[in-house]
Amino acid sequence: MSATLIDNATAEQPRNDRNYLNADHTLKSWLLTVDHKRIGILYLIAVTIFFFIGAVAAAMIRYELTSPHGILLSSEVYNKTFSAHGIYMVFQFLVVAIPAVLGNFLIPLMIGARDMAFPRLNLLSWYMFMTGGLLITLSFILGGVDAGWTFYVPLSTLSETQISLCLVGIFITGFSSIFTAVNFIATIHKMRAPGMTWYRLPLYIWSHYSTAIVILLGTPVVAITLFLVVVERGFGFGIFSPELGGDPVLFQHLFWFYSHPAVYIMILPAFGVISEIITCFSRRPIFGYRFIAYSSVAIAFLGFLVWGHHMFLSSQSVLQGLIFSIITWILAVPSAIKVFNWTTTMYKGSIHFSTPMLYALGFMGLFLIGGLTGLHLASIDTDVHLTGTYFIVAHFHYVMVGGTIMGYLGGIHFWFPKMFGRTYSEMWGRISAMIVFVGFNLTFFPQFIVGYLGMPRRYHYYYFAPEWQFYHILSTAGSTVLGIGFLLPGIYLTYAIFKGKKAGPNPWGAKGLEWEQAGSPPITENFEKPVLVLEDPYNYNPEEDSKMYEHEVESADMLGGRK
Amino acid sequence: MSGHAHAQGDGPEVYFQYEDIDQQQESYVVGMWAFLMTEVMFFGALFLIYTLYRWKFHDTFFLAHEQLNWKMGGLNTAVLLFSSVMVAFAVHFAQKGKKTAQLICLGMTLMCAFGFLVIKSFEYGAKGDHKLYPNYTFEYGAHDKDHKVESWWDDNLPAFMHIEKKEQHGDPKNAKLFYSIYFTMTGLHGLHVVIGIIAITSLMVLIIIKSPLITDYVPTELVGLYWHFVDLVWIFLYPLFYLIPR
Amino acid sequence: MAGHDHSELTKGGAHPHHVLPQGMIFLIAGGLFAGMAATIGAAFMIPEPLHSNTFFMQSLALAIAIFKACLVVYFYMGVKFGTRLVKIFAYGGFIWFFTLFIMMADYTSRPMEPVPGWETVPSSALPRNTVEDPE
Repeated sequence: MSATLIDNATAEQPRNDRNYLNADHTLKSWLLTVDHKRIGILYLIAVTIFFFIGAVAAAMIRYELTSPHGILLSSEVYNKTFSAHGIYMVFQFLVVAIPAVLGNFLIPLMIGARDMAFPRLNLLSWYMFMTGGLLITLSFILGGVDAGWTFYVPLSTLSETQISLCLVGIFITGFSSIFTAVNFIATIHKMRAPGMTWYRLPLYIWSHYSTAIVILLGTPVVAITLFLVVVERGFGFGIFSPELGGDPVLFQHLFWFYSHPAVYIMILPAFGVISEIITCFSRRPIFGYRFIAYSSVAIAFLGFLVWGHHMFLSSQSVLQGLIFSIITWILAVPSAIKVFNWTTTMYKGSIHFSTPMLYALGFMGLFLIGGLTGLHLASIDTDVHLTGTYFIVAHFHYVMVGGTIMGYLGGIHFWFPKMFGRTYSEMWGRISAMIVFVGFNLTFFPQFIVGYLGMPRRYHYYYFAPEWQFYHILSTAGSTVLGIGFLLPGIYLTYAIFKGKKAGPNPWGAKGLEWEQAGSPPITENFEKPVLVLEDPYNYNPEEDSKMYEHEVESADMLGGRK
Repeated sequence: MSGHAHAQGDGPEVYFQYEDIDQQQESYVVGMWAFLMTEVMFFGALFLIYTLYRWKFHDTFFLAHEQLNWKMGGLNTAVLLFSSVMVAFAVHFAQKGKKTAQLICLGMTLMCAFGFLVIKSFEYGAKGDHKLYPNYTFEYGAHDKDHKVESWWDDNLPAFMHIEKKEQHGDPKNAKLFYSIYFTMTGLHGLHVVIGIIAITSLMVLIIIKSPLITDYVPTELVGLYWHFVDLVWIFLYPLFYLIPR
Repeated sequence: MAGHDHSELTKGGAHPHHVLPQGMIFLIAGGLFAGMAATIGAAFMIPEPLHSNTFFMQSLALAIAIFKACLVVYFYMGVKFGTRLVKIFAYGGFIWFFTLFIMMADYTSRPMEPVPGWETVPSSALPRNTVEDPE
């Protein structure tokens, strides 16, 4: 019965130039679409806007810090600015960026399904995401939020800014992620094509599956916690209130019970993207497939048991602090397994330094630094010195920006021909990848130093130590470069959507269902022929495939040189 | 698929993303369970908060819980258990394809749900009369006829200095904490009941108008899963709030 | 595109959807109401030496609640007859719930330290301090 539906749909247009983009052109067809690919594009537009808002706030912070006395903002406005930066970047960009944009677009394509398991739920979650985003934006228009993205009580319960509205927005966004995760789980479990066993899944799917588990188990906890803050502000309930004998540290426990795993919600999908890119541009089968797959799952579960390392300096007991510290060190192992496996994958491969690969290599370097500095913060004794300084700011930006955003940009560049059927300018792609890498390091490496020297985070002046101005100016200069690096892809990718050269179905010569069996861009039902999976993933051969790849590159007129 | 699914004329509709009806039904059930996992964690955080403060302020919690009406709570437990049984029957009849019986069972569930809310509103009303809402009007002890009715907070001394009253009713500050948790948990549970009412009503309407969305028993089963979960939460809330041992 | 590979996690194969017989529904209902009666009865009728034993009373109440919950989850929610996948999710959710209780370890281990703990913190929260501007 399903087959007849497809035949009716295919009969209307000639087969060759039909795809999900030109299936219908009205605005209504986009806003009411249940096609996972179109929803992915809707998310792409939305997160780009939210990223822009967060980036403007970041620029204001960096500009403010170029002088030891501050230049632009009063204390209140500065508090609201860094809160806006954190809230938009974390809740509206990092948590959703890769799963909602690339995950929505690619998961059915990669497992050989025609759509997600629940397409209407998928659309609903986009609308919830937008509602949450609009409420957060409204809260900033109506006066802003000054409690930071962590909303620690009692500051957030006593503050007189628009915290309740903002928290309601975050609550709704949280449920949007939960619905996305439900969709991912049902899809990955039930929608796989014949022959697509668990060990034939691309590692990208393993990563997203782990992410979905983390979202399902973590997000409700933070949702209820933030809800309790709203109730306390609105009705005077006092569950975290010390006046009633309650414990504000309990809020931190519950908040980090989600928000530490949230770090893995952000980074695990990036791991998946990097696994795909590294193996494609090294032309080698991934090294240690099962280790990478299991390490994703291990990270997802171990990630739940380390939240206390955010609270070493709260009134948490030292005993529990020690336990959390030990588990945090253990957690470094699965992340390291991944990096080692990617490195080994490249060994004796036929490496192509195309744009996505540059982002992936940048990811590995930056994530390494971010991860290793995390170990300074994971041990209690050094953490006492470093916590609450710019060291920690630099650390999580290395992981979040250097990890997630590099992964996200790499993924966008990698699958851009699949999404829009066109290729972007490879030269500009490489230039902007280099600019991002340089700008990023210039922005955040000085922050390690100035943080080690003692610059506290969330301050908008440092008149007590004007000698730090040098590092701050370096950092601000770097952020300008970084901003250009983010702006360039926005320009040339937008240009390429409309004017880029047509890409074939597989411009990179990559393996995987989405490249080998679907068009660029894919049709609405994804695959024209029934999908049957008979071989393992990443079935690359370094010697043969490199020749084929050059041929493909010439045909697509891209400059994928070999080293 | 097993025979009963095809007993309804044309058989259930398979959406275009699915291969067959088996896959579709299993996907829905798995998705619902994944969502219920989320709900477990959602209430789980509240149960943790309850455990912590109960452990910390056990005596006050015991004294404060005596203001709750365990008979009404018990009646509510019975009502919810009965509704759960009715939902189980509704799913049973849906699987058998007996629409009238299914609708009757769902209607009974709906009535139980409203009954639950009515009883709950009486309870909440009584708490309001005793000034036990944990908001800015909270006046612990206002219900106590043996003591003066006016607010303890009117005194110049801080409330926890009232030693003799503290022995009788526990620390009013911690009692407010108890009522905060009580109203949050039962309130959120009540919200779930309201969502359940909406779900059951929509399901019944869709069945009555013979909507193409309801072609097999799976929607009923999903609503049933949700409703059983609501019941499940109350199974724990009742002894934990209404029957705290000394 | 027939022959989908999704039987790998189903237990029964051809008949994964089990219809709970009416007798069973009545039986479980009886168990649930008996459990409810037991909860209330235990709270008021247990004789004195045990009745003032908080730990015993609470454990008893929770044991009955867990028994009732198991009845609902296994039979009414169909986990007993569900596919392996449904079982994993059902058990996983309820098991993972207990990881939250790691937080209790913090509160129970605070008194072990030779520093003033939670109890001795002044009971009034300070109002938000006004930070003076540097200039």
